[in-house]
Amino acid sequence: MNWSDLGSLAPIIWAVLTAAAVLLVDIAAPGRRAPAIATALMGLAVTAAVVLSLAGHTETAFGGAYVVDGLTAFLDLLFVAIAALTIMFADDYLQPRGLPIAEFAAVLIFAITGAMLVAGSADLLLLFVALELMVLPGYLLAGYARNDPYSTEGAIKYFLLGSFSSAILLFGLAYVWGLTGSTRVDVVAAALAQAAAKGSIAPGLAMGLAFMTAGVAFKMAAVPFHYWTPDAYQGSPTPVTAYLSVGPKIGAFAVALRLFVAALGPLKADWLPIVIVLAALTMTLGNLVAITQDNVKRMLAYSSIAHTGYILVGLAAYAGGQHSGISAILFYGAAYTFMNMGAFAVITALQRRPGVTSQISTFAGLGRRSPWLGALMALFLLSLTGIPPLAGFWAKAYVIVAAIQAGGWLTALAVLAMLNAAAAAFYYLRVVVYMYMRDPAEDAPPLSPGLLFRVGLAVTGIATLVFGLFPAILNAASSAAGVLKG
Amino acid sequence: MPIGQTLPFTAVRWDDVLFVVLAIMLLGSALLVVTMRDIIRCGLAMIASFASLAGIYVLLGNPLLAATQVLVYIGAISILVLFAIMLTQTKNAPTRLVFQTQAWIGAVAAVVIAAIIAGTVLTTTWPSTGAVAWTATSDIATMLFGQYVLPFEVVSVLLTAAVVGGVLLARREPPADKEDRS
Repeated sequence: MNWSDLGSLAPIIWAVLTAAAVLLVDIAAPGRRAPAIATALMGLAVTAAVVLSLAGHTETAFGGAYVVDGLTAFLDLLFVAIAALTIMFADDYLQPRGLPIAEFAAVLIFAITGAMLVAGSADLLLLFVALELMVLPGYLLAGYARNDPYSTEGAIKYFLLGSFSSAILLFGLAYVWGLTGSTRVDVVAAALAQAAAKGSIAPGLAMGLAFMTAGVAFKMAAVPFHYWTPDAYQGSPTPVTAYLSVGPKIGAFAVALRLFVAALGPLKADWLPIVIVLAALTMTLGNLVAITQDNVKRMLAYSSIAHTGYILVGLAAYAGGQHSGISAILFYGAAYTFMNMGAFAVITALQRRPGVTSQISTFAGLGRRSPWLGALMALFLLSLTGIPPLAGFWAKAYVIVAAIQAGGWLTALAVLAMLNAAAAAFYYLRVVVYMYMRDPAEDAPPLSPGLLFRVGLAVTGIATLVFGLFPAILNAASSAAGVLKG
Repeated sequence: MPIGQTLPFTAVRWDDVLFVVLAIMLLGSALLVVTMRDIIRCGLAMIASFASLAGIYVLLGNPLLAATQVLVYIGAISILVLFAIMLTQTKNAPTRLVFQTQAWIGAVAAVVIAAIIAGTVLTTTWPSTGAVAWTATSDIATMLFGQYVLPFEVVSVLLTAAVVGGVLLARREPPADKEDRS
């Protein structure tokens, strides 16, 4: 270890320092909300600046355990944005319920630190520890409303199944280590390339692959490993749900990129069939169950399962030989982050007054009660459906085009994805119908979200509008994807 | 007279005999943890299973890991678990665990998975050296603070986050939650 190693790790160090600073500020001014939020947001801004200052470099640190490249920078920026938006939205929900913000922000930034470490992991052991750092604070956040039994129930389900899946993933990693004798991703990839060249893979490796797939599928909430998702998402405080639906999910895809693509890439012919089946099941079941939901949070939970399926199509396209599948995954992750967090933010605004549920009837007449919120919610829902020219359309388009170009079974998968996108329109647009064609409840009070909340909402709205129209984002995604070999 | 490497009159090595004994103790006590109905006895069986695992670490040539296992798992974690049971049990709560109805399905699934794992492990040719590699404590230290220093440090951040969260969940709020009493 030397100074340049620490330089490569600077974004992570800044993020940890930010979390520590938030806690210290809370000690200095207990219970004051504004200083904690300001510290957190400023720290995150500095972290983003540090990431940008490192962008363009490709360097390894700590003897090859950590790597700074385009992919790390792209994902780091995305994770910082997720944390900043969550903090901007959170206070409007937490303050009326008397829940502290400083601990929320600190724990959230710790989680994001883990996600950023996952993004730069070039060592299986680091990958696992970083993944744990990402998900462990998530369990705490899910149970953040301690006096709400639903929050506790969701947190416990998330915690038990999450710990279980971590153990399964670790078991799979142990098999790979046993057969390749190393935890460094490049050494593992070279050893596996030799093994794959001989033809059939060893039974132990197949077993390890099965365990790792199950472990990662749990984390990204792919069917049939999704059982924790609806309860955890519905029970969590709404800003936490917003975070859980994007942060750990994109983190899990970062694991997939660093583990399945970078380390297990030589075996991609062996894991392609599993990913195709997972993708098909995930998007179909997610959409079918989402149609029957009357609670918007639960509906968006199932819809997030469906979106996992679409992103998995990108992974399958990569394994099918189409490298653009990787940039499609990254673009999808970025687009999904902003449109989904925006949708959850509108729910948060509605639930600012304690006691308001996230039932679909809450949305009745939102278009008239608050034209701006209604219009933004419609924008997010249309984007989630995949209506051009919004971000969600381009995200789906890139994934599907990559799958079609890969050909074979992937063409069938692409067709299934399109059918699913059409079916999804039903439940997304149902909310829009409620917002514009039903009368609001007589006693509905006016909605007045805070200033920071409005800024965050504007950012998500603008991103959803312009993401597809500015090719710069896609260029960034594809140059980040170029880091991973085909 | 020193004892030989193998059992008298056979080719069975002492190490292997010891391993089988420890493995049976490990699995037996682990099984007791999940099948016994008295939670305190489950905790005690867990200590026995941790101790057997420490023995296996010694057999694998890693005394430091075995010592850590004894200190941390038996010395700290088990005691903590027993204290937690003692402090959280109330008079009106059931002291005996309620068994769930899916235990049989779970047992069958566990046996099937164990059989599959045993099959794959036995049919795979592992790139092993065949000899027990004795790991000196200094070698572990070198690895921990050399090759694996980053994961090592990340674990400390993880523990910090866990402590913050733990305090958060355990802290008593000034306004008493009246609704929860009902």
